[in-house]
Amino acid sequence: MTTYEIVLEWQDGRTESIRVEADETVLEVAERAGLGLPYGCLTGACATCTGRLTAGDLAYRRSPRALKKHQQRNGYVLLCIAEPRSDCHIDVGSRIQAEMMSNPLK
Amino acid sequence: MSDVEPTTETEGHHHGQTEGPGYVTPQAAITESDPEKIAYVMSLYVGTDVDAPDFLSVVDVDPDSETYTEIIDRVEMPNKGDELHHFGWNACSSSCHIGGLERRHLVIPGQRSSRIHIVDTKDRRNPQIETIIEPEEVFEYDLSAPHTVHCIPDGEILISMLGNANGELPGGFLELNDDFEIEGRWDPPGEIQMNYDFWYQPRHNVMISSEWAAPSTYYPGFDLADVEAGRYGQQLHIWNWTEREVEQTIDLGEEGQIPLEVRFLHSPETTHGYVGAALSSNIFHFFESDGEWHAEKVIDVDAREHEGWEMPVPGLVTDLLVSMDDRYLFFGNWLHGDVRMYDISDPAVPRLADRVWAGGHFGDSYPTGEHGREVGGGPQMLQLSLDGERLYWTTSLFSSWDNQFYPEEAENGSVMLKADVDPRNGTMELDADFLVDFGAFPDGPARAHEIRWPDGDCTSDVWQ
Repeated sequence: MTTYEIVLEWQDGRTESIRVEADETVLEVAERAGLGLPYGCLTGACATCTGRLTAGDLAYRRSPRALKKHQQRNGYVLLCIAEPRSDCHIDVGSRIQAEMMSNPLK
Repeated sequence: MSDVEPTTETEGHHHGQTEGPGYVTPQAAITESDPEKIAYVMSLYVGTDVDAPDFLSVVDVDPDSETYTEIIDRVEMPNKGDELHHFGWNACSSSCHIGGLERRHLVIPGQRSSRIHIVDTKDRRNPQIETIIEPEEVFEYDLSAPHTVHCIPDGEILISMLGNANGELPGGFLELNDDFEIEGRWDPPGEIQMNYDFWYQPRHNVMISSEWAAPSTYYPGFDLADVEAGRYGQQLHIWNWTEREVEQTIDLGEEGQIPLEVRFLHSPETTHGYVGAALSSNIFHFFESDGEWHAEKVIDVDAREHEGWEMPVPGLVTDLLVSMDDRYLFFGNWLHGDVRMYDISDPAVPRLADRVWAGGHFGDSYPTGEHGREVGGGPQMLQLSLDGERLYWTTSLFSSWDNQFYPEEAENGSVMLKADVDPRNGTMELDADFLVDFGAFPDGPARAHEIRWPDGDCTSDVWQ
């Protein structure tokens, strides 16, 4: 199985690198490594695990129902259902989800 | 299971003339209950960078206790990511004539995870997780996103499920048996599309359910494009309780967008109740007349201009409750920051009796005084003492929605506040000496959502 290097970057400057096989999700490996990424439904419906892909390729195990097309075009990804297809750089942490959904009345 | 011997408090139920749990009538719940000493509160870390599971807080609300207003115990869930939200009892006053049943087990769903926890409160101050229904078991019934838990007579439990196994529509209802196993899907699939809260009134063979949206729509946060696309609900479903079929659907229209909490009055004889339309910020009165159910808007909260906001700010009526004596309706405007009390002695014509302001975008950020803690969110989940004299509330709505409207809630955590209510005079006043701080845990600040008392409350007890 091909293994890829995934670099996770938090807004406060923290960086971690994990090796993820092509049939594993980024989230499951990050959890195994105890990195403390946020998550919720684990099925791609809720967007709690949203990250932002800044380099590389990911493929989904199932449809990312929590993301709209324009959010996907802007690089937002659901790490609970995303498997790597190349080395990747991903912005992570709860701020990414919060940034994706701003106050609609403001 | 707890190995702690039951305290006298645990054994101190007032059963009146009942053999089972709860009280024989709503009036008995008022006169035979003792003032609440502890509160169970849903507490959560989901959607933050705190690497810890959500938990059940046991809050000391006994003013004679040395640990008054403190969180005296925490029951941590085994997994991260649940979003503990609403919860309920295995049995309530609807089973008051059924011997052998006790109000003892809390049924605590994870709104995001679809995991269902059963917690034993035999030792009230030190509850223990007894068993867990894992998400995969729930998905087998093509349901997800468990929300409202009501016990139904005979010891079974009914849970509103807001989505199918994909987190899309249709939702439905999941039934558990008295061994806390999945009995099956309660409703024939397709009776409803959207689901949210429900309440049943057995003497009239009716259940009423409301509508939020598909989980994949509301989970990520609130998007006006979803409202414009019709992805949020505006209907009430009137069910034949025993036949499990929708007999009538009421479209509340533009003024009834996102109808959430459904509250019947407590008298088993009544056919009156209320539902709050969160987005439209209106309260609808529903009632039966000539064999038909009707819903009429009876309270309209005006949106307000706020400096720096492009659009007028709706009140966002998210929770409401009816006092046990059916005399008052309370609701909160989560975005504005006020909690209102209405005289409903004529249910069709609610009369504003009083209100308090605490937090929100228009209320005082320091409602308990300059030296108190800053209140980030607005009044959200409400709970009233059985005697109707103490109203409590928490400030978090839903992790992703909090992030949009009160981002500071993630940084500082929620609070639980209280107002003293005078039912005789129809007034209430914020208790400046009461504040439970959910922001000061070693793991980090937590959000707080639904509140329940060990001996039943105004939002869970139903009478046959």
